[in-house]
Amino acid sequence: MGANPAENHPISFRWLLKARENGGKIVSVDPRFTRSSSQADLYAPLRSGTDIPFVGGMIKYAIDNNLFHKEYVAKYTNASFIVKEGFDFKDGLFSGYNEETRSYDKTKWEFETAEDGTPIRDESLENPRSVFQLLKKHYSRYDVETVVNVTGTPKNDFLKVCEAFCSTGKPGKSGTIMYAMGTTQHTVGTQNVRAFGILQLLLGNIGLPGGGINALRGESNVQGSTDFGLLFGDLPGYVGAPKALPEHASLKAYLEKETPKTGYWSNKPKFLVSMLKAWYGPNATKENEFGYHNIPKGNKNYSHMALFNAMYKGELDGTFLIGTNPVVGGPNAGKEKEALSKLKWMVAVDLWETETSAFWQKDAGSNPEKIDTEVFLLPACSSFEKEGSVSNSSRWMQYRWKAIEPKGESKADLEIIHSLATRIKKLYKNESTPAAKTINALHWEYGGHGEHPDIDVICKEINGYDAKTGKLVANFNSLLDDGTTICGNWIYSGFYPEEGKNLSKRRDNKDTGGGNFLNWSYAWPMNRRILYNRASADPSGKPWSKEKAVIWWDGLQKKWVGNDVPDFKPVVSPSEPGGQNPFIMMKDGVGGVFAPSLNDGPFPEHYEPFESPVANLFSKQEMNPTVFIFDGSFNKKGNKSKFPIIGTTYRVSEHWQSGTMTRNQEWLSELAAHMFIEMSEELAKEKGIKNKDKIIVSSARGEITAYAMVTKRFKPHKMNGKTVHQIGMPWHFGYKGFATGDTANRLTPHIGDANTNIPEFKAFLCNVRRAD
Amino acid sequence: MVEYAKYVDVTKCDGCRACMVSCKNWNDLPAEPQDFLGSNQSHAKVTANTWNVLSFIEHENSKGNLEYLFRHSACFHCKEAACVKVCPEEALHYTDFGTVVINDEKCVGCGYCVQNCPFDVVSLATYKDKHGKEYKKAQKCTMCTDRLEEGMQPACVTVCHTGAMEFGEKDKMIQKAEKRLAEIKGKFPNANIYNPAGVGGTHAIYVLAEKPSVYGLPENPKVPTSAVIWKDYAQPIGKMMLGATTMAVIGAYISNKIFYKEDHGHDENGGGSNE
Amino acid sequence: MVEINLNRRQFLKLSGATAATLAIVELGFNEKEAYASSKEFKIAKSTVTPTICCYCGVGCGILVHTKDNAVVYTEGDPDHPVNEGKLCSKGTTIRQLYTTEKRLTKPLYRAPGSSKWEEKEWDWMYDRIAKRVKETRDASFVDKEDGIIVNKTERIASLGGAALDNEETYLLSKMMRGLGIVYLEHQARI
Repeated sequence: MGANPAENHPISFRWLLKARENGGKIVSVDPRFTRSSSQADLYAPLRSGTDIPFVGGMIKYAIDNNLFHKEYVAKYTNASFIVKEGFDFKDGLFSGYNEETRSYDKTKWEFETAEDGTPIRDESLENPRSVFQLLKKHYSRYDVETVVNVTGTPKNDFLKVCEAFCSTGKPGKSGTIMYAMGTTQHTVGTQNVRAFGILQLLLGNIGLPGGGINALRGESNVQGSTDFGLLFGDLPGYVGAPKALPEHASLKAYLEKETPKTGYWSNKPKFLVSMLKAWYGPNATKENEFGYHNIPKGNKNYSHMALFNAMYKGELDGTFLIGTNPVVGGPNAGKEKEALSKLKWMVAVDLWETETSAFWQKDAGSNPEKIDTEVFLLPACSSFEKEGSVSNSSRWMQYRWKAIEPKGESKADLEIIHSLATRIKKLYKNESTPAAKTINALHWEYGGHGEHPDIDVICKEINGYDAKTGKLVANFNSLLDDGTTICGNWIYSGFYPEEGKNLSKRRDNKDTGGGNFLNWSYAWPMNRRILYNRASADPSGKPWSKEKAVIWWDGLQKKWVGNDVPDFKPVVSPSEPGGQNPFIMMKDGVGGVFAPSLNDGPFPEHYEPFESPVANLFSKQEMNPTVFIFDGSFNKKGNKSKFPIIGTTYRVSEHWQSGTMTRNQEWLSELAAHMFIEMSEELAKEKGIKNKDKIIVSSARGEITAYAMVTKRFKPHKMNGKTVHQIGMPWHFGYKGFATGDTANRLTPHIGDANTNIPEFKAFLCNVRRAD
Repeated sequence: MVEYAKYVDVTKCDGCRACMVSCKNWNDLPAEPQDFLGSNQSHAKVTANTWNVLSFIEHENSKGNLEYLFRHSACFHCKEAACVKVCPEEALHYTDFGTVVINDEKCVGCGYCVQNCPFDVVSLATYKDKHGKEYKKAQKCTMCTDRLEEGMQPACVTVCHTGAMEFGEKDKMIQKAEKRLAEIKGKFPNANIYNPAGVGGTHAIYVLAEKPSVYGLPENPKVPTSAVIWKDYAQPIGKMMLGATTMAVIGAYISNKIFYKEDHGHDENGGGSNE
Repeated sequence: MVEINLNRRQFLKLSGATAATLAIVELGFNEKEAYASSKEFKIAKSTVTPTICCYCGVGCGILVHTKDNAVVYTEGDPDHPVNEGKLCSKGTTIRQLYTTEKRLTKPLYRAPGSSKWEEKEWDWMYDRIAKRVKETRDASFVDKEDGIIVNKTERIASLGGAALDNEETYLLSKMMRGLGIVYLEHQARI
């Protein structure tokens, strides 16, 4: 659901097909019948942007039919917690909403606690203010009729999916939800994923083999690059980036504010101080708070859309673009292209000339004479022309060896980054302005030969070592907060525990039990393969079932043993404090059915997309009441009278992301050579469009021309007595490369999720007509 | 002599098309940009430089349910191959694996094989010699016979992640197909094994979900009678009388005039046929 | 360098495998090359290096065959537990990431107002970029805001990096934050 693995992650689909040979069932929920649907046992269409009603209806089905895993829910989730008096939900709004700031006062969603701060629990789940009862009440509104009237799913199909999936609530069964951008790229993206999380906790499907909610990562190292802090909000290892706030003004204040007293994050000071030592080396001392003051502190939203909005307004002078092509991949891409011309300089590092680095050209529709941006295009080499590791969707950190010298004068990004850093540092060498001081403090010693740094030195810095002896640390348990240990990214600490043993290079492919390959590469944290695997055993430490056993308590050895590295303190017995708390990264050690930290509510609630052809049947709140709305002409909103058709974007098997890596090679360009728009036979008939016709799709942001692909695999949504049409299109195309075509993102809006600011690519309004 | 075959279970295929590019990658075949065909299918049929094509078919079954069908289409490596029969130069021949391959050095590009293939899988490629003069050679899937010789599977089989393809002893492949057929009959009542007798059986055996015609395949392909006459009677006599090269020239004329395939309805092209 | 044991590759035991070499010519677009390649088994003397696919996050293993400083073939790594030698269409073709004529092989520079790229030397590019970064940074650096030390510049952004290696993302994160950059973003959202 929200993913199309047969097309976008084909080898993951191999394992679904194998699971089916062992009696498993594949369910495909998608607005359009895809290559994944073709192999599914059950297919259910839904209108883009209605995932919460669909999954909300499943939650209700599981509760009403008593299909949830009661002991798991009572013991391992916060369903038993009591929410404080005053919490309420009325007509689409949770308590504490402030219309002016479009935000919630989250103190209205707190749990009742005992004097020592631990939450009060009612494991019978019957207290009317227990999370479970509130959940039940919240989703009582998601009855089958209302759900299918919103989603457009045929009732029978919906019920079949409920029945099949909720049957995994029994011990001995498990079900997984594989999702991707079809789930996240909505104004309610985070809550879509939350809905999956709630359902899986109810069914006891987290921490078990074949369970979980699995994000199918779209890029080979979007996992690793996020782990290493390439999103503004987090430093490496998900330590929150400090902000320009009084409570973050010093390291002491930051750690006091951000370190929870319980759960694994109580070790945060050790992780942050060791990272500061890695970054500032000898310039990080106890006296100067380990150089904490050097870390930049912002106080805004610096995510993709905000960045381009700032660029458009002329607030940015320079931008680095590292292997990225927003003129094809960004929302409202036509405007993002215009924004680039406001830059004074731009550095693009890529294997190709992209639509982005060439934005100033005539072919891009620009007038070069009027664009003053200085553009530097640095040729990078491909992944097998250099060495280094990447982390896959399962957090496996796998090494890639160098097969051949970089082509032509292209270089590894490692060398490019290193050369730039050393040259910039050199320019500041003799200066002492505040700007100079912070960059001079940055410790940058990576040896190597010529301009190429020694990757082994970097690996060791990431893993961590003793500041005095230089001895590698065994793992993050050895890290300290007194400046005696150095560690660039604590979650990876342990991949290089001893000299000469970079475990990401391991290639022993023996199944070490339960389908785990513990001696193949390295999975962070601590080589654990299934997260929260303590939940695979019952409170007493016995596996819920033999078939799904992962780890169990061995009373003789007094430790947890099994097929995986315990994601738990291995010597804590089930009867000790914390011994029944599998969710170690959560403050309270249990799974969050109720999430009082999100911006848009503790339970997922349905709101229509920013642009929708129908009114919200669940409440008066049309759109997520907490999303940030960009002002000005940057982002026009379309209305349903002019743009009555839902548009969505997706990828095809043969291309990748903005297409630069695939449209620049011939074999893949040959397979998917043309930009197309998929539409139903019904819509085509209405619009007088025939298969293969050239058509124009328009939205409030722009227009594109493409071929019509008229197909039986798209059907109009019939809901609430109304017919709503939907079309879909790949977002890979641009005008460079072998396979060219108009860019779908010229149609998409600049509006995003209330928590992550991920753009709403997957549901917007448009119209279609014949091109001639 | 053990007979081998490529087993293709189209009901397991998910249309990823790795087979198409792995073929090009192994055989160093160039890309050929095509016009938009109105579906996800890239080429209407196999060509001289695209030896296998994945067809995409949208089919409404008798219950009115939509089936999204895929078929990896390539040379069938017939046991009694028309192309081998008609080749005046004996450029086309059987290997010990039962595969049908073209000896490029012998091929004169006359095109009889192209005309007579009941599956339309042989094509002529045009090349230029060092003087810039154009010449033609017949091209088609070799079943990666060069890989077979080294004990490796065909490139398309090796890459397939769904378990839709396998290469092995023909008897075993037929058994596998029969077992699979029994499994899927409930879901696909029209399912069948495609190993047509009219060409002596094939060395690419298919498990099809629907009738062959749904996939654009001939229900009962045969070696054309004209080809039998040509190979078994006319050609030996002609060669004796005129010499091989002259006979090839005459053959080209005859092939165009007499053997010209009238029925073009059996195109391999399944794409868009139901759209 | 890693040792690859190719004997673990799945071999067929075919009775015909001892047959004399057949003249199956894989005619490519370049006749000369094609004839040359027909003389020897394509991957007979290649060097094999394992890599991980650069596309999606599944993390499939790929073997890269190189010979005489050329990439002659890429195929699924049969030893890899994720893909067991299988690949999708994209993974199969990573060979063309190297062989395609579209690759950039020289640094390119576009001056303000210009309508064309100019080839430049790396040194020239590095020095000029460093200079521009410093100019912007010096003009926009904020060390304090409302009494709080913030040490940032909000006039430079860094975008991308989701396909880089871990070691590269670590250096990039360290360098950008070291420069005081807060507009730091990669492709997780798009």
